[in-house]
Amino acid sequence: MKRHLSAEWTKLRTLPGIGWLLLAVVTLTPAASAAAAAVVSCPPAGCAYDVPKLALMGVQVGQAIVAVLAVLVITGEYGTGLVRTTFTAMPRRVAVLTAKAAVLTGVTLFAATGAVLASVLAGRLILPGNGFVPEHGQPLLSLADGPTFRAAAGSVLYLALIALLSLGVAVAVRDAAIAMGIVFGLLYVLSAVPLMVSDPGWQKLLWQISPMNAGLAVQATTRLSDLPLSPWAGLAVLAAWAAAALLCGGLLLRARDA
Amino acid sequence: MSAGTAPSRGGFRRLLRAEWTKFRTVRGWVLGLAIAPLVIVTLGLVAASGSHTSCGGPTDVCPATPVGPGGEAVDDRFYFVHRSLTGDGGITARVSSMTGHIRKPDVTQGARNVVDGVVPWAKAGVMVKDGTRQGSAYAATMVTGGHGVRMQYDFTQDIAGRPGGVSNGSPRWLRLTRAGDELTGYESADGRHWTVVGTARPAGLPDTVQVGFFVASPGDLTVQQADFGGSIQQSRFTEAIADFDQVAVEGETSGGAWERDDIGVTMEPDGSTPHHPGGFAQSGDTYTVTGVGDIAPLGDGQRIESTLSGLPAGLVGVIVVAVMFVTAEYRRGLIRTSLLAGPRRGRVLAAKATVIGTVTFVAGSAAAGITVVVGTRILRSNGNPVLPVNTFTELRVIAGVAALAAVSAVLAFALGALFRNSAAAVTAAVAVIIVPHVLATTSVLPVGAAQWLLRLTPAAGFAVQQSIPEYPHVISYYAPSAGYYPLAPWAGLSVLCAYAALALGLAVVRIRRRDA
Amino acid sequence: MHATIEVHGLRKRFGQTVALDGMSFTVSPGHVTGFVGPNGAGKSTTMRVILGLDAADEGTALVGGRPYRSLRTPLTHVGALLDAAALQPSRTARNHLLWLAHSQGLPAKRVDEVLEQVGLRSAARRRAGGFSLGMRQRLGIAAALLGDPPMLMLDEPVNGLDPEGIVWIRGLLRSLAAQGRAVLVSSHLMSEVEDTADRLVVVGRGRVVADTTVAELIAAVSRDRVRLRTTAREHATTVLSRAGATVAGADRDVITVSGLAAERVVAALTAGAVPFSEVAADRATLEEAYMELTRNAVEFRAADAEAGR
Repeated sequence: MKRHLSAEWTKLRTLPGIGWLLLAVVTLTPAASAAAAAVVSCPPAGCAYDVPKLALMGVQVGQAIVAVLAVLVITGEYGTGLVRTTFTAMPRRVAVLTAKAAVLTGVTLFAATGAVLASVLAGRLILPGNGFVPEHGQPLLSLADGPTFRAAAGSVLYLALIALLSLGVAVAVRDAAIAMGIVFGLLYVLSAVPLMVSDPGWQKLLWQISPMNAGLAVQATTRLSDLPLSPWAGLAVLAAWAAAALLCGGLLLRARDA
Repeated sequence: MSAGTAPSRGGFRRLLRAEWTKFRTVRGWVLGLAIAPLVIVTLGLVAASGSHTSCGGPTDVCPATPVGPGGEAVDDRFYFVHRSLTGDGGITARVSSMTGHIRKPDVTQGARNVVDGVVPWAKAGVMVKDGTRQGSAYAATMVTGGHGVRMQYDFTQDIAGRPGGVSNGSPRWLRLTRAGDELTGYESADGRHWTVVGTARPAGLPDTVQVGFFVASPGDLTVQQADFGGSIQQSRFTEAIADFDQVAVEGETSGGAWERDDIGVTMEPDGSTPHHPGGFAQSGDTYTVTGVGDIAPLGDGQRIESTLSGLPAGLVGVIVVAVMFVTAEYRRGLIRTSLLAGPRRGRVLAAKATVIGTVTFVAGSAAAGITVVVGTRILRSNGNPVLPVNTFTELRVIAGVAALAAVSAVLAFALGALFRNSAAAVTAAVAVIIVPHVLATTSVLPVGAAQWLLRLTPAAGFAVQQSIPEYPHVISYYAPSAGYYPLAPWAGLSVLCAYAALALGLAVVRIRRRDA
Repeated sequence: MHATIEVHGLRKRFGQTVALDGMSFTVSPGHVTGFVGPNGAGKSTTMRVILGLDAADEGTALVGGRPYRSLRTPLTHVGALLDAAALQPSRTARNHLLWLAHSQGLPAKRVDEVLEQVGLRSAARRRAGGFSLGMRQRLGIAAALLGDPPMLMLDEPVNGLDPEGIVWIRGLLRSLAAQGRAVLVSSHLMSEVEDTADRLVVVGRGRVVADTTVAELIAAVSRDRVRLRTTAREHATTVLSRAGATVAGADRDVITVSGLAAERVVAALTAGAVPFSEVAADRATLEEAYMELTRNAVEFRAADAEAGR
């Protein structure tokens, strides 16, 4: 396994595109968070915004880049035929997938931590200027606050799980365009579906199984009792999606000719 | 047959034919473009079948929504003091006071929090109407709570007069006269110097109409962020009370006492007590009328485009196929063969874009046509009131959605040609077409930011599906999450077209300059 | 360990197409084994099955007595070149080999050694995407040599190489075999392997049609024929026919004699006092032998293509 990890790590770090994608995660996530923080305001009468969630809004943009990164890690090999070289060098395919997933998780956690910390910092700097001050009933954003820390740490884990979900999908379909389509469909489109059905039971169920809605529950810090899922349970739903995708991808990987 | 002498149009036709053959012979692409409409239809019809509305009561049948002369669903609830008028004639009245009550969100749970005041579109004035049936044609001249004097007719039409409200110190004289089919509204500050507010020709006004004075007061709208994203709108009770005096009617009238109708009043569950009734009191020549409700087109409720919930999912499929149609050429070097067969590179790209656009338009028409027509029927048969629209609007929504899919495909295709990398192109296309729409309609973004997203990004094209227009004279929650787009339908689609043209132009420049 | 590649009874079909139909052969150490057959005969599929990339429906493929997928560091057992274009173009040649080295627990030093060996040292830090076909072929061979394996499998290694490169690779293959390695080299052209290979596995339509040495193959298919140039054609024909040969006229003063070895022909002519100016043994070439063997097995014959027009 150590050799697999070492090989996959070398492979990942020697792709020039990877550096740019990681840079995009670390810059675009806080940029989007800052933009969201800049357009909201809190009047003296108070406001109902969930401030940590607002400051972490960029995660919804960052996840797209994480998904691209994860998909390219595997479809880049299928597109060029390199995958046959990979499996010739390392015939235990599931071990290769595991090593890829591990390396990808590590890299994503690293970039996501930077992205999330920068987002929190951006929120901390911008939001007080828009009326999010203790006098208006909004304490300053701080990671020392338990729920805020949970939202931030959860967001890092969320991005890592998005990477694993995307990897699983990409291994299963082997084509970048189709994989991106499926991942974006699962994330963005499925997240909007609960708002389009009128039946409250269905609405709640669809919300609970949507990987993005459920996963981002980990960012919620206010009105937790109104959420269809608790924050960690929501993240667990996303983890289940990622596990299912990886399992499906792994089984297909083993069964199929390379 | 010789390429050198063939007219260039024939050359382009051959390119089109070649690209069409290329498209239809890849099973995955055809399948992809068959799945996308299927997703739209299936999601739309499943969502429609799962949507039921019941209004309780003994029959459990919802009362029919009144429909205005133009075919649109309307609110037609007000207090009307009237008599019949045959042929030409008119009415003059002075409004000397306008007050009211507004129910605000409860401060302490359970205790009604009612304050004094009139809402901006509370109306008091004179009216000529085709009977007392809800939705019948009318014209009225009125003072409003916050928008001065107006002349309105047939629900959707609104003409502004002079600004300013009504108080004891400054009453307003209002007059409405009928001459043939034409009604003219006047106003005056002193009863001597009259100004024309506007003229109107209400649809199909009969010889004998009801003439009189009325009061209406639309609900007070509050909007809250919803927990799952989106918004919760609440309309709370308001009423307006206006004093009319110096009422004079000209023409051949029924005479005698004024008839009074609380038009459109609903009953409490017991079936006999009116819910929030209006009222009428007379003291000498002064009539005090209390009115609740509004005379305006109805803006909220399900619409024909509510059935298109699967559209974003379908568009993702369209984007994937459109991107692959071009990136597949680069991946295996097929582009070199294509360019040998058609060395004028811009035309090759144009031919490919035409093919993917046309195929998507056809698939999109089928998907939107079936979903809108069948979905609306299912919704209605489940008791859901769906805001009616005319056939032209329905066709525009269907053709517009097909065009939205086609132009999105061309944009995605152009991005694919620009990036030559399918993951990057799919991401970019989804990021500029789908994500802004999802963010604008479902997220916690403030309405202003959401509207800018739908003005500036290619997602503006989604405006083409809006079937119910925004009326400036009706207070409603005109936000993307409520189905109101900041741009007019075709203007929104034009924004998307402009992006597609730009991307295609850049792709042509790039394919000309770069080595294949 | 024994460095032998053993393939036994492989069968595989892709939908309607039978790719492998009972493929069996052995590649033994110390030889270059040529793996020849027309396009579509199943050479690449066989190699993919040996490498565990494709799964056979039936049969076994063992390298050094074990299935490929059970090897922990397979590149130190078998080196393979399948598709030289299978690279991520943005990665440099050195980095491409580096991750492969890491996957086998080999030091980076080994990467520089093989780059030197295949003559790519100066291009080591260039993006592989910009390589010519010949350079990619060399990079692929470097990857095969990386683990210093006792067995090598190269699929059409001569493709895209310039004449100098062809000479180089032939020398390389022979020296690798001389070091006691088992070397399997595929080609669809007999001429590419006939100078290099000691043994031949000729395949057609998914099965082995001949598993032999080059010399045996030629002997098996060639009948001895002698070209004779003489001014006395009729006299020569009579004398040779009496000696038991079959004679056919070819040119005005050239006849082709078969069924009699060249020495016997000369003896008979001398005894009969027939004048002749030239006697040449007309041996069948390996290419002809190959054509003969695979004639029935060729799937895409030129005639079919013509007929299809």
